[in-house]
Amino acid sequence: MRRGKLWAWIVFALGTLYFLLPLIATVQFSLSIRRDAITLDAYTNVIQSPVFQQTFGYSIIIAVAAIVVGLLLVVPAAYFVRLRAPQLRPIIEFVTLLPLIIPPIILVFGYIRMYNSSSVLPLTNTSVGTNVLLTLAYVALALPYMYRAVDTGLRTIDVQTLTEAANILGANTLTILLRVIFPNIIVAVLSGAFLTLAIVIGEFTIASLLNRPAFGVYMQNVGANRAFEPAALAVISFVITWGAMGMIQLLARFAPRTAALTD
Amino acid sequence: MSNNTDSVVTNIAAPASAGVALSRGPFAAFRGMRWGDYLGVAPFLLFAVLFLIVPTLYLVLGAFIGRDGAFTLQNIVDLGTPQILNSFWISLRVSAASALLGCIFGLLIALAIIRGKLPSAIRSTVMTFSGVASNFAGIPLAFAFLSTLGRLGLVTAFLKLYFGFDIYRAGFNLLSFWGLTLTYCYFQIPLMILIIAPAIDGLRKEWNEAAATLGASPFQFWRYIGMPVLWPNLLGTLSLLFANAFGAIATAYALTGSSLNIVPILLYAQIRGDVLNNPGLGAALALGMIVITAVANVVYLVIRTRAERWLK
Amino acid sequence: MNMKSILAASVSAIALVGVAAPSYAANDIDALYKAAQGEGQLTVIALPHDWCGYGAVIDAFKKKYAGITVNELNPDAGSGDEIEAIKANQGNTGPQAPDVIDVGLSFGPSSKDAKLIQPYKVNTWDSIPDTAKDADGYWYGDYYGVLAFIVNDDLVKNAPKTWADLMKPEYANQFALAGDPRAANQAISAVHAAGMSTGAKPGADAGAAGLKFFADLNKAGNFVPVIGKAAPVAQGTTPIVAAWDYNALAWKDGFAGNPKAEVVVPSDGVYAGVYIQAISAYAPHPNAAKLWMEYLYSDEGQLGWLAGYCHPIRFNDLASKNAIPAELLAKLPDPALYAKAVFPTLDEQAAAKDAITKGWDSTVGANVQ
Repeated sequence: MRRGKLWAWIVFALGTLYFLLPLIATVQFSLSIRRDAITLDAYTNVIQSPVFQQTFGYSIIIAVAAIVVGLLLVVPAAYFVRLRAPQLRPIIEFVTLLPLIIPPIILVFGYIRMYNSSSVLPLTNTSVGTNVLLTLAYVALALPYMYRAVDTGLRTIDVQTLTEAANILGANTLTILLRVIFPNIIVAVLSGAFLTLAIVIGEFTIASLLNRPAFGVYMQNVGANRAFEPAALAVISFVITWGAMGMIQLLARFAPRTAALTD
Repeated sequence: MSNNTDSVVTNIAAPASAGVALSRGPFAAFRGMRWGDYLGVAPFLLFAVLFLIVPTLYLVLGAFIGRDGAFTLQNIVDLGTPQILNSFWISLRVSAASALLGCIFGLLIALAIIRGKLPSAIRSTVMTFSGVASNFAGIPLAFAFLSTLGRLGLVTAFLKLYFGFDIYRAGFNLLSFWGLTLTYCYFQIPLMILIIAPAIDGLRKEWNEAAATLGASPFQFWRYIGMPVLWPNLLGTLSLLFANAFGAIATAYALTGSSLNIVPILLYAQIRGDVLNNPGLGAALALGMIVITAVANVVYLVIRTRAERWLK
Repeated sequence: MNMKSILAASVSAIALVGVAAPSYAANDIDALYKAAQGEGQLTVIALPHDWCGYGAVIDAFKKKYAGITVNELNPDAGSGDEIEAIKANQGNTGPQAPDVIDVGLSFGPSSKDAKLIQPYKVNTWDSIPDTAKDADGYWYGDYYGVLAFIVNDDLVKNAPKTWADLMKPEYANQFALAGDPRAANQAISAVHAAGMSTGAKPGADAGAAGLKFFADLNKAGNFVPVIGKAAPVAQGTTPIVAAWDYNALAWKDGFAGNPKAEVVVPSDGVYAGVYIQAISAYAPHPNAAKLWMEYLYSDEGQLGWLAGYCHPIRFNDLASKNAIPAELLAKLPDPALYAKAVFPTLDEQAAAKDAITKGWDSTVGANVQ
């Protein structure tokens, strides 16, 4: 009975309509910048704008920084929890739930109050400090996804055996992490990395409240002041997000699937 | 989970450290852990404390501090102004409406692709698309909907041209409660699909067959077996969707500038320019938001853990 | 001398009486530049690039004074937001604290009283009309323009010609202000102007009349409670917006014909508004701020604003020296309109601003529902 039930097809069709129409409309709108002509002018305007290049570059750099910091925090923690300190697991999992509970606007409000000029750690006093604050905010936002990705990756490789083998060969913990564990979970790490990228590129609230020249802020500004370029930006943003997610799906096919699952 | 394997490993890998003979007593759980293990987890926990827990607590406590620095409940009371109450009310309504619609339509679509006997390629495509769409919130989504249902949007123009039906003359406006709800559904529905799919998968074929053997119609199956099993999951996800919508600001901001009177935008304006002229009040607003989203999320988590019992 | 007679003189391009400013070099620009280079940065706020051609002005400043980065905060901020930004960043020397502000005339005295700004007299101080500056040098007018409607011709068949026209049913759901009337000078001025168009005297009376006008407009369903800018005009969300003529003209240029738009100055009330510059009392980079002021008030800076369709405050001085290129003059709106323009005095503006910002929520209460 592979033909499928009628109601299912109807629901699917309606769903497709609802989800595809805005995408089609956005593309169509972005091509209409000139009357009576289909041109890519909106796209060229956007891509050639120096502000676009600056803010896009800035966001990419912050994204990479957030990924690196996030990995430095998450990989050792996930490794040690899995290997030696399973009793800390509930604490860690609670922590990874926090960013999902605390809305980003609350987070940045707390940062501004806590790390302004009158605090022990006056991060907002300098551009560099504010950039650091922004990166850490994004690490916090991406933490749940990064942790889940790394944890899943660790689950599918036999951490105990690898560690024992490396220990026997005389490796210290740092070497184990860098040269044994990390290469084996690279697929999971990349998944987390792409998700972080997708989050950072489009993020608006935190960047605008910290007054940083990020891509999300630029998009909102263009949205208020130009008529057709925002649609072009939306399409570009969607392509990037889809690209990142697509990479994750692709990588999932290459994830190691060893027989020695530990739980 | 895997406590057995782990404790075996602990014993093998750390024979020397057991020299700290704390095999009994309150620290028995930490037996065998070297300080090196803490070092691995420490940065993570330090980060969590400094950049997740403390800022939020700082805000929460700040809500109780008045202008003079003393403890006060005045800020909470001040939340009672018409403008602020109105914004909470609108936020609650938009979040509830988009959560409800997201729940219903997400469930329908998930049921369609999983149990509707559609080609299997459809399921994987929809799941992948849902993964992307649930992250498509924010500013680009606002632009997309403006291009679709704005005054000059594709759908608006299409309806006007081919059906002579001007939705704006009929009273629809994208920049309104229903417009915003419709826009929010774009990421609520995929989120629902992603979360409810495993639960629907858990409705085992054997239950269908058992029910059929007993003479139940499909409707009776759903009424007595399917829905009751799914029900906790539905409620829990409803709660999650609600929290998701309540905290969202970027989409609404991009649609209306700062004109839509919802709580996150009010808070945004307050942080930006202290428009309420009262830092304690801003913190109180934040507290209100945290309480609502925290409650909704806790409801989701509690229900989820209980519901998972059925789907083991 | 009031503004009106100054303008009447400028229209006929006659040199103003007694304006030959003794240009004593009171401030050493080179020393300022060195000190500013030491600071390395200038933080500005609320300067959209298409407002008075600020984009080009900032670029020219950066080129002329290399070594100073310009940190641009929140281009969408209104005048009230700029004042709040100074307040919120007292004691913060980071990049969120603005050095200089560009706000509506009525925000000057209140900022001075609240000790939020510091005095500075640029080299060309004397050529700024007295009515447009604070005697002690705390704030000083920078440019002016008149309120106009920008109309999206693709969506609006007959553009409104007067404030009264806006009430007509054909403009249902079409008119918006270009800012938040509780904080943005542009929006507050529009409400004031609407009040004056009904015949009320400028000041508190016109403020109250303007509030009533918008309450009625809202009831009639013609008012869209969304901030109108170039994008909403083009996208049809707010096809008619009341904005300064320089903004309207700049937006129209940006459309490049798609959509077709026109700029109409309402004939039942030509309302002119002056903006002022000031240096924040808590500016983290005071020397860069002073250098910026010197640049803005030099001939080059003033002409930069003129290229953005604004009338710079030293317009008459420049005209008398024949320093204005003819093609720039040609692009400006009709001088006859400016002859009819009403420049409300400081007191009138203050009274109106007070009435409007406080009364908007209760009288009009328009919110996106």
